Amino acid sequence: MQEDEIDEGIANYRDSPRFSEAGKIALRYSELMALNPGAIDAGFYEELRRHYSEAEIVELGTFIGFNIGYHTFFGSLKFYPMFSPDGRLVSQQESERLYGAVPASLAG
Amino acid sequence: MPDALFPRILARVPDYAKALLRAMLLSHGEGNVDHKLKEIIRIRLARTAGDRYFAGLRSAKAKQQGLDERAIDAGADDDDGGAHLSPAERCALRYARLMYLDPSRVDAGFYADMKQHYSEAQIMELGAFIAFHYGMQVFMRTLDAVPLATPNH
Repeated sequence: MQEDEIDEGIANYRDSPRFSEAGKIALRYSELMALNPGAIDAGFYEELRRHYSEAEIVELGTFIGFNIGYHTFFGSLKFYPMFSPDGRLVSQQESERLYGAVPASLAG
Repeated sequence: MPDALFPRILARVPDYAKALLRAMLLSHGEGNVDHKLKEIIRIRLARTAGDRYFAGLRSAKAKQQGLDERAIDAGADDDDGGAHLSPAERCALRYARLMYLDPSRVDAGFYADMKQHYSEAQIMELGAFIAFHYGMQVFMRTLDAVPLATPNH
């Protein structure tokens, strides 16, 4: 997986030919759970079931919930990856410069 | 806490179920932060998430320790929580409220204030507790789940 695929999966998955219908609805699930959970209703789960088993839906839902919870907490601690993209061990100051003081977010 | 519904849902993915339930019980029932305070925080978070399931559950252990609905409502709906809450408890409740409603305010100054009341270990315990429970509550909210029994049963 390359960075441009990740970026496209976050910012432009709806119109992207790189993602299947199943991939798009999983990405939509994560987007709505973070930003508008009230929009995830019985109809949405019916649509998810066309692409995923109940086990896969529970796996996705708990994975997404877990990440929503922890990324906000980690964001409040203002820490950054220990290594640069080319594998160097870097200080937190340098890492902040490398990875950005404000991460791109769905809300941003 | 939780009742049988959440484990039943998680049981569709048995490996996840074991790990998540263990983490949930450990983070709520063990550690060095008062369990009653964690119970108020947990209910406050569930109300923030719009999750009727976890908001409707109650910890038997916290109830045995004297936590009642009036104290839960006072702490869960208001940072000041009435006169019976200490400054440390108010700080923890503010932490939980800000984390998902206004996280930009949980900054270095906020953590410096927290350190006046809690050790670093306790802050990590609270932060991880808040993050984990809120995440599961958001998921349960989307399922529109409610507890299997009323609070008095």
